Amino acid sequence: MKKNEPGMTLIVKTITRLTVGLILLYGIYIVLHGHISPGGGFAGGVIIALSLVHLMLAFGKDFALKKISEATASILESLGALMFLLIALLGFFGGYFFLNFFLGKGEPFKLFSAGIIPLCNIAICLKVGAGLFAIFTILVLSKGKEKSKE
Amino acid sequence: MSEYLLCLFLLCIGLYCVLRKRNIIKIIIGLGIIEYAVNLFLVLAGYRVHGRAPILAKDQEILNIVDPLPQALVLTSIVIGLAITALVVAIAIRIYEKYGTFDITKIRRLRG
Repeated sequence: MKKNEPGMTLIVKTITRLTVGLILLYGIYIVLHGHISPGGGFAGGVIIALSLVHLMLAFGKDFALKKISEATASILESLGALMFLLIALLGFFGGYFFLNFFLGKGEPFKLFSAGIIPLCNIAICLKVGAGLFAIFTILVLSKGKEKSKE
Repeated sequence: MSEYLLCLFLLCIGLYCVLRKRNIIKIIIGLGIIEYAVNLFLVLAGYRVHGRAPILAKDQEILNIVDPLPQALVLTSIVIGLAITALVVAIAIRIYEKYGTFDITKIRRLRG
């Protein structure tokens, strides 16, 4: 193994390669089932962000930033907030704020039910996931800048 | 009663950590411990004996549930705690860039 390769050891990298996809899938599962079981946009978004943080810790910051750069994270975060606002404002076409315009009321305990709540969950997931990843990225990058100055 | 006392004990550990330690990183960890103690206290305040989580499920009759209001409050509190931790860590990084140390007794250029 090369000496000055960024990131942790080969063991950590191999395990990360196996687990990171599963963590991401679990986050998406939590988000999509937010209206019928515990969890939802915030918890799922945190899990998705943690999978990216996991990638960054194991492989070094350049590898993770190649997947999702700072600018992309920033755009996704803004997109999440705007999507939530848009969902809320679209209700005005029917008369009031947060009108349930999508899929109707549905049945309890079905995946495709609960109207706009899954859409709101996805918006919150984008906002929280990208925001948390951006916070971590900025903390990591500020440390790197400090080191290169010395 | 004893669980509330343990909560207070946890809070005292965090307070000791904030007041007595000199390393900024340890102070941040102490702040985190205080946060968790307060969150634990709020969740405990809403607990009922043999209560279940207040979640509707298919084919189940739930008779005795815990109070969901403190749990919603604590969820918000956790988010705010995350933001506070990120802010404090950012400030600590800036201080390290300026002074080259995490020791609060050596950070004294602002004096006078």
